[in-house]
Amino acid sequence: MLSGDRPEKGKRMHIPDGYLSPSTCALTLAIALPFWWLAYQRAKRLLHTRLVPLFAVFSAFSFVIMMFNLPLPGGTSGHAVGMGIVSIVLGPWASIIAISLALLIQALFFGDGGISSFGANSLNMAIVGSLVAWASYRLLSAGAPLASRRRVIAAGVAGYLAINASALLAAIEFGVQPMLFHDASGTPLYAPYPLSVAIPAMMIGHLSFAGLAEMLLSAGLVAYLQRAHPALLAGTAGIRANNSQQNGSVRQLWYGLAGLMILSPLGLLAAGTAWGEWGAEDFANPAARQEIIQASGLHALPDSAPEGLARLAGLWSAPFPDYAPAFIHSPAFGYVLSAVFGAGLILLSLLLLARLGGKRGLPQ
Amino acid sequence: MSTPVFALDGVSYHYQQHAALHAVSLEIAAGSRVALLGANGSGKSTLLRLLDGLYFATAGEVRAFGTVLSEAALADEACHYAFRRRVGLVFQNPDVQLFNPTVFDELAFGPLQLGWPEAQIRSAIDASLQQFGISHLQQRAPHRLSGGERKRVALASVLIMQPEVLLLDEPTAALDPASQSEVIRFLQESQGQGRTIITATHDLDSVADIADRVIVLADGHVVAQGSPADILSDHALLARTHLLHAHPHRHADGQVHSHPHQHGHRHAHGSSAARYRRFGMGR
Amino acid sequence: MSEQSFLAGKHRHHGNIAERMVHGLQQVMEHALDAEAISATPGLLQQLDPRIKLLSLLAVLVATLLASQLTTLLLLFVLAVVLALASQVSISRLYRQAWLSVLLFSGMLALPAIFMVPGEPLFTLPLLHWHITRQGLSSAAFLLGRAEVSASFALLLMLSTPWMHVLKAMRSLGVPVLVVALLGMTHRYVFVLLQTASQMFEARRSRLLAPPSGRMARQLVASTSGVLLGKALQLSSDVHMAMVSRGYRGEVYLLHNFHTRKRDWCALLLAVALPLVIVWNHA
Repeated sequence: MLSGDRPEKGKRMHIPDGYLSPSTCALTLAIALPFWWLAYQRAKRLLHTRLVPLFAVFSAFSFVIMMFNLPLPGGTSGHAVGMGIVSIVLGPWASIIAISLALLIQALFFGDGGISSFGANSLNMAIVGSLVAWASYRLLSAGAPLASRRRVIAAGVAGYLAINASALLAAIEFGVQPMLFHDASGTPLYAPYPLSVAIPAMMIGHLSFAGLAEMLLSAGLVAYLQRAHPALLAGTAGIRANNSQQNGSVRQLWYGLAGLMILSPLGLLAAGTAWGEWGAEDFANPAARQEIIQASGLHALPDSAPEGLARLAGLWSAPFPDYAPAFIHSPAFGYVLSAVFGAGLILLSLLLLARLGGKRGLPQ
Repeated sequence: MSTPVFALDGVSYHYQQHAALHAVSLEIAAGSRVALLGANGSGKSTLLRLLDGLYFATAGEVRAFGTVLSEAALADEACHYAFRRRVGLVFQNPDVQLFNPTVFDELAFGPLQLGWPEAQIRSAIDASLQQFGISHLQQRAPHRLSGGERKRVALASVLIMQPEVLLLDEPTAALDPASQSEVIRFLQESQGQGRTIITATHDLDSVADIADRVIVLADGHVVAQGSPADILSDHALLARTHLLHAHPHRHADGQVHSHPHQHGHRHAHGSSAARYRRFGMGR
Repeated sequence: MSEQSFLAGKHRHHGNIAERMVHGLQQVMEHALDAEAISATPGLLQQLDPRIKLLSLLAVLVATLLASQLTTLLLLFVLAVVLALASQVSISRLYRQAWLSVLLFSGMLALPAIFMVPGEPLFTLPLLHWHITRQGLSSAAFLLGRAEVSASFALLLMLSTPWMHVLKAMRSLGVPVLVVALLGMTHRYVFVLLQTASQMFEARRSRLLAPPSGRMARQLVASTSGVLLGKALQLSSDVHMAMVSRGYRGEVYLLHNFHTRKRDWCALLLAVALPLVIVWNHA
């Protein structure tokens, strides 16, 4: 938002209204809900009456941080979301709520990020971003003294990974749109680019500029806190005081997540059909599209079905028996399933790694 | 003799390792007006928070209305509401005191917490808005208020609950002179209603107007107590506790000299000198 | 290319990093003031019950997402313009705060789709041999159209409704009281922290004689963020005490009073009819 002489390269990934189909919006909101609930329960147990002022002030903090335009090496500039630093200081649960609230105010008051896509934005940045940031910071800083250089590096890496995980998820949400939601003539109704375009387009910017902004801000802030308020860095350790309970919650979380992973592609399909946006015959049948292309005498059209993903999709549908409903064999189903599954696996492995790291490392 | 509002017996308070108050013992009688006088960091804000049951003594005992004020006692719901109803604290920083999105909600917060019926809350809000002359501001956000307006809203937000004891942290700090005298006038009126008023301040000018009794704090110790006249005339004490400081300044007759004083505090070396200083030109 | 927001269309300030930050943060605060001023003018949307407005906005957003014909989007766009004119929101404001920034962001993003979406070629660019396809054109139009219509309606809600009314409307529509209270407080502290950040950059502005190097500028932003973080923690613990002092025990309560009139229900009926008509048309 605050820009100037330096060209802005590191953009945020607030998804505006109109980019995602209603069913995607509903689905992402549905996935976000249990996380909010769990985050609230966890935070309430840890914070008691301090919860309300802490959340309010930290949401405001992340809101303001999101407005800062960080100058990057190479003469460009970028924004950070702040999920890295908020997770490090308050822990992932409080961060989920604080960043979600900041996103809601941005959407409603400043038109920054859509209202209908609030669920998706929260899922990408507040939920996955916070969890990835927290897990990777805990893993990388395990056992390091509060004032050590390793914590600064860990914070930078955590911010970088978090923003890129968020971006990847956003890219997947964009990328599945043209496949699932288009009209009879093949016109994509929402975000028009397939995964093969959306993922590289999103990730190049985030792996470089936006990731750098988040990395520099997280690392810079941890370095600052080491000098000015070292006690704040011990905060996350404090929040893990009742370790056994937390592990219980993490397990619950994983069960919930696993359930959602299994249900979500089905949900997408069902919702798509219900809303009448589901041209089953032509999406299930890429040959139909191929026909259009051939009939119009084109040869050099960009490939809308990337080879690798198609093969991956084939892998997923292969184990289903032949008598399974036809849509299970469709490449689109495979894309969605593999994308969702992949995201889930990344999340799970980070959580598990962090737990292992936590057990070995931090004195608590 | 009636029970004192507050009775402190050997109260100490530590922040992490740092000791903010050392073995403070004092009593505050119902209906009295007390000034806690001290420089920044003297422990007066800490003392106010102990009296308001926000901090709890590390050692010693704080009694409020005859019963011990402890975390355990306030954890009891009935006790919590009874105490919060009777004692109100106005924080120095309006960003802390005013945490609601509008003036109306700010006034409603306390009564809602105390579980008053809605009709009573609404009439109390109306009365308060009138009393403090802030009716036109009721839908305003705090960041859209001037310093004086913020202070009036802050006072109203606490006084709407009609507390018996009013604790004030630096009520005149960072206010323009007109707003300062408005706050002081209000405190004088409020005392007529039999309210106990305890004010933490370092503003020597207003002490005589707002207190019958002055408790001087320095480095977490009570170093003196007495009437405003006695304390204010003890320049050695005030200088020692950093409430007065000395530096050279020029008077109208061209004479340069130095003596302990506080900016804005009137003293006579000839009328023009006092005027110069009040316009900040004595430096 | 910049981000899409109500502020993105405002003019950019050039200067050193501190100056730009001060300028940008002030724009955010100005936006809030503008909105407050517009929501106080007598207009069609301003007079509707906030709950109805919020529900209607959601219905219109759903309609915008469900529309599968460009004419539907065009009609919704015309509706937004008519509502703006009836609510004293100028077209130039809609253009500046919604249309332009959406055009710059979503428009740029949609442009390549014209070539990249496979379909019937309409036109081939000379030399490059890129084909503009019918499907590509209409998909770009869908993306841009939906984004423009949604942003226009969201801006209209924001400009015609004080933030507190949006919150109270959420509350009476079943959003948990905790969420509503948090949103209210968050909004309050956004302005406190914006002001703090602005003051910090302001203080640096005069001291930065030469444009700072990238490294210095980064350090400036990081240290400002750090101070802000420290301030946020201090504030949250002080605000907690201010809340407890006024009776807070972890539960938040709110007062709200809205009166729905006949025209409110008409508005809601019309708004809810939109998505229904759209779905029914394409069923």
